[in-house]
Amino acid sequence: MTGSAPASLRAQIALTPIDFTDRTLPNGLRVLLVEDHRVPSVAINVGYRVGGKDDPPGRSGFAHLFEHLMFKGTANTAPETMDRLTEDVGGYNNAFTAEDITNYYEVVPSNHLQTLLWAEADRLAALRITQAHFVTEREVVIGEYDQRILAEPYGMLDEIVNREAYTLHPYKRGVIGDPQNLNAATLDDVVQFHATYYRPDNAVLVVVGDFDPDQANAWIDRYFGAIPQPAGSVPRITLVEPPQTAERTIGYRASNVPLPAIDYAYHIPAANTPDAAALDLAETILGAGKSSRLYRSLVYGKQLATSAYARADLREHPGLFEFSAILSRGSDVADARAALDAEIARLQAEAVGSSELDRAKTQIASSFVRGRQTYNGIALSLVRAAVERSDPGAVNTDLGRYLAVSAADVQRVAATYLRDANRTVVEYLPE
Amino acid sequence: MIERSTVPTPFATPPAPGAPRSATLPTPAERILPNGLRVIAFAQRSGPKALGVPLIAAALIVRGGGASETESEAGLCALTASLLTTGTTKATALEIAQQIDALGARLDASSGFDASVVSVNATTPVFRDAFALFRELQEPAFAPAEVERVRTKSIGDLGLTYSNPSALARLAANRVAYGASPYGHPLAGTAETLAGLTRDKIAAFHERWYRPDNAVLVIGGDIVPDEAFALVNAVFGDWRSPASALPAHLPAPAPPAAAKVVVIDKPDAGRTAIVAGRVAIARNSPDYYAGTVATAVLSGYSGRLNQEIRVKRGLSYGAGAQLVTRREPGMFLASTLVDHTKVPEAVGVVLETLRGLAQAPVAAAELVPRKETVTGAFYRGIETLDGIAATLGELALYDVPLAELGQYIARIAAIGPADVQRFAQTTIAADPFIVLVGNAKHFGDAIRAAHPGAVFIPYDELDLNRADLT
Repeated sequence: MTGSAPASLRAQIALTPIDFTDRTLPNGLRVLLVEDHRVPSVAINVGYRVGGKDDPPGRSGFAHLFEHLMFKGTANTAPETMDRLTEDVGGYNNAFTAEDITNYYEVVPSNHLQTLLWAEADRLAALRITQAHFVTEREVVIGEYDQRILAEPYGMLDEIVNREAYTLHPYKRGVIGDPQNLNAATLDDVVQFHATYYRPDNAVLVVVGDFDPDQANAWIDRYFGAIPQPAGSVPRITLVEPPQTAERTIGYRASNVPLPAIDYAYHIPAANTPDAAALDLAETILGAGKSSRLYRSLVYGKQLATSAYARADLREHPGLFEFSAILSRGSDVADARAALDAEIARLQAEAVGSSELDRAKTQIASSFVRGRQTYNGIALSLVRAAVERSDPGAVNTDLGRYLAVSAADVQRVAATYLRDANRTVVEYLPE
Repeated sequence: MIERSTVPTPFATPPAPGAPRSATLPTPAERILPNGLRVIAFAQRSGPKALGVPLIAAALIVRGGGASETESEAGLCALTASLLTTGTTKATALEIAQQIDALGARLDASSGFDASVVSVNATTPVFRDAFALFRELQEPAFAPAEVERVRTKSIGDLGLTYSNPSALARLAANRVAYGASPYGHPLAGTAETLAGLTRDKIAAFHERWYRPDNAVLVIGGDIVPDEAFALVNAVFGDWRSPASALPAHLPAPAPPAAAKVVVIDKPDAGRTAIVAGRVAIARNSPDYYAGTVATAVLSGYSGRLNQEIRVKRGLSYGAGAQLVTRREPGMFLASTLVDHTKVPEAVGVVLETLRGLAQAPVAAAELVPRKETVTGAFYRGIETLDGIAATLGELALYDVPLAELGQYIARIAAIGPADVQRFAQTTIAADPFIVLVGNAKHFGDAIRAAHPGAVFIPYDELDLNRADLT
């Protein structure tokens, strides 16, 4: 085979829009439905607009702890009922907690939709929180902290980056939780947290797959519609992180560090702002795959690092653009930093070439397309857009935003945000 | 206990599931190219209320796997497959990786006992370029530096496998079930065999088995079959088989030996892995669906093994079963991982549970949901193009009519309690072998008493290169 398509055409993928209905129940629950009959299965996502940033002061880890308690039964069901209702019929379920969202999801054969809608409504309305479950799940969450943060090499890096990059905003506390805070919590604190955030007007229900919309809507009205809307409104974080005016450098030493690591974190705007797409492109150009600039320079070329990544961590509130590298044996931190700095300076000084920009767009477009293969992939993109960006329609406009980004846009966001005075540097070193 | 709110009436009891909804599965079409390559094409369903995804996937299934290598070459097919993406006569490993990035494509190679599989997927506008690269992978360079790199990594990975009692028990079970016949040796090889795999042997294995008249190419997604056939013909039409005749496949394995109990004494194991199993059925056996349902009755959280071992007795965190089907009869395996002191009791419960399935028919109330786990998993498996391609590829590999894709659900539905009981009697419960990997100090005497013929092998004397393990 010869004759590749011209480079500029490669990313021009025509995506059929996701055809979703969008309505809000009288109790405030937002409901997004996508009818699709490719396979007789269905994905259900319930996203709550609560995450690590909403943890009460001194109660870091509450949103995450809550995710665990949502599996421990209700007034009507035994613990782990969600597992039985999904795994026992050939499906699966799980949940995750991020800075801005806690999302619960199930995939089941489509004839089980009504049962799962009932079960999700049931755990929103009638969750049973006992002292015993509170204590055991708190231990599980602390165990997760011990495993992921303390035991894993570089486990503390994300915690340190967030803690040091933010001075005021609750993003500084991370998501997984602080064992001391969790141990100080009482059952009352937990019940209060649930009452504050687990309410229909703070949730988005997404159903994607093989169902009859009239029937599904009737079930949703019956089960979710019966849940009263509590009085008052949901508290929101209004704190604004003040602009950073000078570079901060933190050295951290730990025993389980096989090789030194470095991390740069720059403040960037929120996910629903116009520069977000160009920042995502910058991430791909710098850090995605073996064609990326960081791999070619730091890993393959100069062999200063064993791995090097860039990440545009776009959030509901202003997030971080991070660079991270794990050094190769014998390499010098100063050399690796100089090589990273050179790549940042290059992105600011020169416009990205058209084939490189096109490669990045193709990579992003391809992951968009793959995400649409499964019902849960579609449901997840909708729930995130609705909860984190208040814009479910973004699932149909995002690709166009990426394709419209120019080399000048990438150069501009690099110059605007990747400035020394706007960054926090963490050097994570062996003891 | 605190309950947040008064419970509204509709919530008190869960609604029952509705009747299963029907599905329209892809209808595959097939052709054989003049060079002998069998091509299977399928179009994804798209249209109103079926979102079209601009993606195309292909998988090349080569009928040459671990069963095609000799004992002393164990690991050869796995090493060959791993090397396919590490350089061709035209491009280095890094250049290939960069071309894949530029296309936003995915490229993968893997191997099993019966076949080696190379797969690709990419979005519609770039698929032709990705497919051309995929074709180029069939002309591998096997550069000496890459051979050494992959070999070193493969030998390193063995240590991880051997330190895991469950993984080691499966390797030993393979030997107990098949001895020196072609499914007996470890697919990943051993440190000794891997060390002896020269570049020339790898190239010869590739030359011998990777040929169009020994392969099936499945392609589908956002492409109609006629267009797919034309594309495959244009790209793979010049792929030539060597003049030599296609080598013959393995003979059927020896019939299962008499019941055996093998204990690998590994004092540093954290817990003891228990595997009970038997040589079972081939993929094209008429018993495939009965075996699949019987295994589902035993497996999963609510399956009998986990209920008996974990839920009722707390002997383990989990227990399950697996039916591995191949060209020649594969294995049925029941497995769990328990504290060393619980081994005698747990072995008894596993065997009793297997016998229980043979002794009495399964009640409908139990059978219906277990069958749902089978059909639900099937639907999840065909949600992606890669999943459909893999499913069709497996049917083709084992000479099962492709129409069975569309009949799968009906065939599972047709399995009744008598079918399950008969399969359990003939193939699951009759004289299973047992393999234990753990600290025998805690259970050795009890196992010797219950199974006088048990063979004990200290870990330091275990030799996976040998049919009898020592």
